[in-house]
Amino acid sequence: MGLNPESRARFNLERASVLLLEESPMGMSILVQILTGFGAKTLHRCEKVEEAKDAIGKVEVDLIICDALGASGAGYDFVEWLRGSRIEPNCYVPVLLTAGHTPSNAVARARDCGAHFVMAKPLTPIAVLERILWIAREGRRFVECDTYMGPDRRFKNEGVPSGMVGRRRDDLHGDIGQAETPNMDQEVIDSLMKTRRVEL
Amino acid sequence: MSSVKIHTPPVRLAKLLRTPGGLPVAEAVQRAGAGLESLKTDCLGELKTVLEAAEACAARASDAFDADLLAELYGVVSKPIGVPSVCGLASMDTALISLSDLLDYLKGQQRWDANAVAVHLRALRLLLHTEGAADAAGTQAILAGLRKVSQRYARPSGA
Repeated sequence: MGLNPESRARFNLERASVLLLEESPMGMSILVQILTGFGAKTLHRCEKVEEAKDAIGKVEVDLIICDALGASGAGYDFVEWLRGSRIEPNCYVPVLLTAGHTPSNAVARARDCGAHFVMAKPLTPIAVLERILWIAREGRRFVECDTYMGPDRRFKNEGVPSGMVGRRRDDLHGDIGQAETPNMDQEVIDSLMKTRRVEL
Repeated sequence: MSSVKIHTPPVRLAKLLRTPGGLPVAEAVQRAGAGLESLKTDCLGELKTVLEAAEACAARASDAFDADLLAELYGVVSKPIGVPSVCGLASMDTALISLSDLLDYLKGQQRWDANAVAVHLRALRLLLHTEGAADAAGTQAILAGLRKVSQRYARPSGA
């Protein structure tokens, strides 16, 4: 990614409705200062999961920034609830999940809760803006199945994991087999790419 | 195999971000930084309170493993992660993360190491009062030492 902090490129968050879920007052103040600095005017501040759930049912939001909420990981549960709530369009909204510390037993929950991105604290304005712009990208696929609902977790197209059967229609199947000849030498590859004068 | 539905929902935020007006990235980042600067005094006050609470909690520990006390201490020290960096005390954030790691490892192994916890708390107090930047090399040495202490428990076999 690498957003240049000196960039003159413009973005507009003035009309965006942002829900913030953060139980620590100081953590909330940090988020509010960052978001208002970015020009956001409509912030729904929630200190408890219940308040956030209530807000989701009442107002349409465009972005959620949600803390993991400590060792209990109630923030992960909230995101999972949001995705499964089927409250449209909020259930598809981009979610940026922040975490001060992720206990070893919560790593899988953080990955599978349905957030668009999990961001480790401390937060810096440039890093938060970079992530907001990234998760707001259009065209990100959404996956819905019995065990997961959220943005596609496949960032790279590296094919189906080794030894597994692909679960998607566009997954390629077939046995690649063993190499029949040695790998090409790098010099040979370079020579194929190099422009040469040809005499006819 | 369960059925999988893959679709592309519209993202209203993407359209809003592109609407005319708004702010250049440089100005937005500068405004947000200035806003964070205004929180500095409150953040320092919060860190002092947190440190006192952590020390009081650790002082109640006996030599034996106490899951409730460990969870309480983890809650106290992991919650403010991110606050010190607002006051320019990024080193304190690193120390808080190291202590949170240590407590997480100890919890997993159902062990207690009073010395390892105490050395983290003493380092945090030192970093809070020296404001880190005064001696960058010294600060890095402290953080490297803390990391070594917490990583001793990273492996299941422990120290």
